Amino acid sequence: MKFVRAAIGAALLVGCAGQTASAATGNVLFNGSITATCTLTVNSNGTMTVSNNLQSLSSHNAGGSAGSVQVDTTGGVQLSVDPVTTTTVPSSDTTATTWTPTFATTGAQTIAETGTATALTVPGTSTIAVNLAGIKGGTNRFSAGSYQATVTVRCE
Amino acid sequence: MTKLRILLASLAIGLVPLSAAAQSMTPMRGEVRSFTDAFAVRVFPGNPYDQRIRVEIHVYDQDFQPIDAQISPSAFLLAGQASRPVLVVVPFDGANDRKVRICTESIPFPGEQTQIRAQICGKFFGHRRF
Repeated sequence: MKFVRAAIGAALLVGCAGQTASAATGNVLFNGSITATCTLTVNSNGTMTVSNNLQSLSSHNAGGSAGSVQVDTTGGVQLSVDPVTTTTVPSSDTTATTWTPTFATTGAQTIAETGTATALTVPGTSTIAVNLAGIKGGTNRFSAGSYQATVTVRCE
Repeated sequence: MTKLRILLASLAIGLVPLSAAAQSMTPMRGEVRSFTDAFAVRVFPGNPYDQRIRVEIHVYDQDFQPIDAQISPSAFLLAGQASRPVLVVVPFDGANDRKVRICTESIPFPGEQTQIRAQICGKFFGHRRF
């Protein structure tokens, strides 16, 4: 019996001889998911000036300036401006004005000036130039006093 | 009954992925399943400015018509570079599915000719399960 045990043990040792020890390996997976994000930072508001014929009050006119908004995004979002609904006009101005907000972007993504919703597909930082133009038709004219309008810039 | 609805709807919050702060609003997309007549979404408006601003939360449908949702809190002052959670409970109003926009709006600086209102809107889809 002892001989049999010794023989089996010896056989196992012989079988192990010459075998190198192998280290176990494993892969550790990392997953990450980024959903669409968007940050809007208003750098400056715009200024409108009146045209020589007094029928245009616009940030495009001489002396006017566009509003500036910084957008930081992962992409996969849409940029738009809402129709202007909130305005303050002098009491002497009783005629209708058509307000048209537009925007353009430079930086990570360039968008030519538009008033329609546009996709932001490129991740990064872009600067939005927001313009607003008020137009009067016929014989109507802008009058002296303070005008104020609010443009909503939306990222969704 | 209202409190019960909020409580039950709050159970669905766990389905919304929680995101890191310091964004204007996170998450901006979400899909929620609810076993009640309302679904809840927790969003995190953020203030990217260095100074304190006033923030308002509004809920709209797909056509940008306001929805009578419960928003807690709906308007607040947010410190610079800060973020805070806001709970929005949206009723299904009899529908089985409802798409809504939850929008974070900053209040513009006063006293300028052309004021700019920044609005970040997230799109959320609620499914009702029985």
